[in-house]
Amino acid sequence: MTPLLAADEPFVRWDWVGDHTDDIVDAFWEHLSLTVVAVGVGFVISMLLALVAMRWRWTYEPLAGVCSVLYAIPSLALFGVLVSIPFFGLGFRTAEVALVSYTLLILLRNIVAGLDGVPAAAREAADGMGYESWRRVLRVDLPLATPAIVAGLRIATVTTVGLVTVTSLVGVGGFGGLINDGLGRSFSTPIVVGTVLSVALAIAFDLLFVAVEWLITPWARAGATGGPSPDDLATAATRATRDEKWVGLARSGGLP
Amino acid sequence: MTDRTAPLGGAATSGPSAAPSAPGPAPTDGADASADFPVNQAAVSDAAASDATAARPADEAALRLEELTKVYPGAARPAVGGLDLTIPRGELVALVGPSGCGKTTTLKMINRLVEPTSGTVWLDGTDIRTLPIHELRRGIGYVIQQAGLFPHRKVRDNIATVPQLLGWPKARIRDRVDELGALLDLDPVLLDRYPAALSGGQQQRVGVARALAADPPVLLMDEPYSAVDPIVRARLQDELLALQQRVHKTIVLVTHDIDEAIKLADRIAILNVGGVLEQVGPPEELLRAPADDFVADFLGDDRGIKRLSLMRVEQATLARGPVVAPGADADEARAVMAREQSDFVAVVVGDDLRGWIGAEEIDRSGRVAEADARPFVAVVHPDTTLKAALDVIVTSRSRVAVVVQDEPDGTRRFLGVLSLDDLAEGITR
Repeated sequence: MTPLLAADEPFVRWDWVGDHTDDIVDAFWEHLSLTVVAVGVGFVISMLLALVAMRWRWTYEPLAGVCSVLYAIPSLALFGVLVSIPFFGLGFRTAEVALVSYTLLILLRNIVAGLDGVPAAAREAADGMGYESWRRVLRVDLPLATPAIVAGLRIATVTTVGLVTVTSLVGVGGFGGLINDGLGRSFSTPIVVGTVLSVALAIAFDLLFVAVEWLITPWARAGATGGPSPDDLATAATRATRDEKWVGLARSGGLP
Repeated sequence: MTDRTAPLGGAATSGPSAAPSAPGPAPTDGADASADFPVNQAAVSDAAASDATAARPADEAALRLEELTKVYPGAARPAVGGLDLTIPRGELVALVGPSGCGKTTTLKMINRLVEPTSGTVWLDGTDIRTLPIHELRRGIGYVIQQAGLFPHRKVRDNIATVPQLLGWPKARIRDRVDELGALLDLDPVLLDRYPAALSGGQQQRVGVARALAADPPVLLMDEPYSAVDPIVRARLQDELLALQQRVHKTIVLVTHDIDEAIKLADRIAILNVGGVLEQVGPPEELLRAPADDFVADFLGDDRGIKRLSLMRVEQATLARGPVVAPGADADEARAVMAREQSDFVAVVVGDDLRGWIGAEEIDRSGRVAEADARPFVAVVHPDTTLKAALDVIVTSRSRVAVVVQDEPDGTRRFLGVLSLDDLAEGITR
């Protein structure tokens, strides 16, 4: 690999930034759409998997196992396989398959942890008062699992924003495209711009989720509820997910 | 099959729903209660009334458990084995027993949170298995340990749970919630808070309000007060008794606390391990004549004292006591004290109790002067329990309690005195 910085090159050349605002804006939209679609699709899939796992408890470990395997597949290998399949090829679809795969484990674990954390008394009261099971899940279980689910979404989204830079290898990488460009030319400015904006986007998403959670869980601010709160459980789940990620990284020998 | 009627005697509490064509509240939803409680027209009573064969007699039990059995998969012994139990309309029946006696399992078979292995639960003469399960549950109030409120819904919406499930119009739900808030003495400010902002006792009260929301004739309560501290528990129990005076629900209460059962229940069913019914009857009857050693042990070695808690001063025979009028001379006072074997006299004008004067003071002054009379400390009222009266007696210097009736004009009408002997007679009678 060539050195990152040429000797006579400044760290950031602002005139380049000025000349390339269109490219940067395009990269932003690409990055944003790759992330939103990946987390959105991943969320829908994991929610369905979580509901299956809650309904038929024995399916949870196998489902989580499959998600762990997906999580552990090195992204380079996955890209290599997918680009050779005509439907996927180089581009958006291949990138999304990889990105969605990596959200599933985090989201599934957090949704299940959140649903498990619903107070048994609330669940029993709902059943005893005549909620149909689908209605109970919708009106009682999911709202109460919201803090844990949002915690999962935050991790999954931040992870995805970071991963999108890697999908530049298949031609769609948002800010990753800028970074790739800079790396190829030993030109630091696009690398710095891409990295800073990618991190900024991750932080923006995170703050957005914090705000949304604050808005939709007014009850969580009302005071301590006694017993482990959904938040505690989310933290535990998050920790487990994080540990698995490191195991996954060790197995795959590098970044996913 | 569904026209099977309970072979139950009892008072003919005929009410409006004795006629099979009149769906509506259970007949014992007392007069004032049914007036200010919107009628739950869903589920249970409709289903029962629309059953062509359900021409049920007026004195029928609200709930009847017949050969009710639950064997959990893999369990060697049944959790509940062939339980027969009749729960009369408008009564509070407590299921009591040691852990493993299947009392909670029994309760949950009534709203089908647990499905019986065999046997039948009859609700208003209808086999509950013939009712749609969710409608059955919406027609039965359910109060659980630690209240089980929904943390994400305001108190108001918690209470509105079943009416919302039943699709009541918003305005009606709102009125009903306000009404229940008043009935259970909930500060209106609390209605718009989340449950986490409420104390344990308040949460439990909301739990009861929620169970009563759609005015179900039957209420199931599963250890409702086990998670609150003793002081709050006693207050909630008193409130339940007062509430039951107004709403006359058929209540099945599960508790491990025999004192709670004695205090609250019209009837107590004592269960042994494996859901075996050892004895059922009014608390007074169980305490007076426990069927066997198990029941006697379970009731505790202070059965006599517990019976005192069920009886009131007005039930005891009162002695007139060492009563004198003010102005009487010392000899008369001494004669009264000698007759009553006391060392004081009670000064009474007409019926009005003015106080007491000790023997030494009469000796000193030579007469009974109203100005010398000191107020009684050991005072009880007609509605005081004999247990509380016992406490007053054993802690009083004179070993008697003075029974008075507080009159609205501020005077204390003297009714007599109560001694240890009178109490002992009350127990053995």
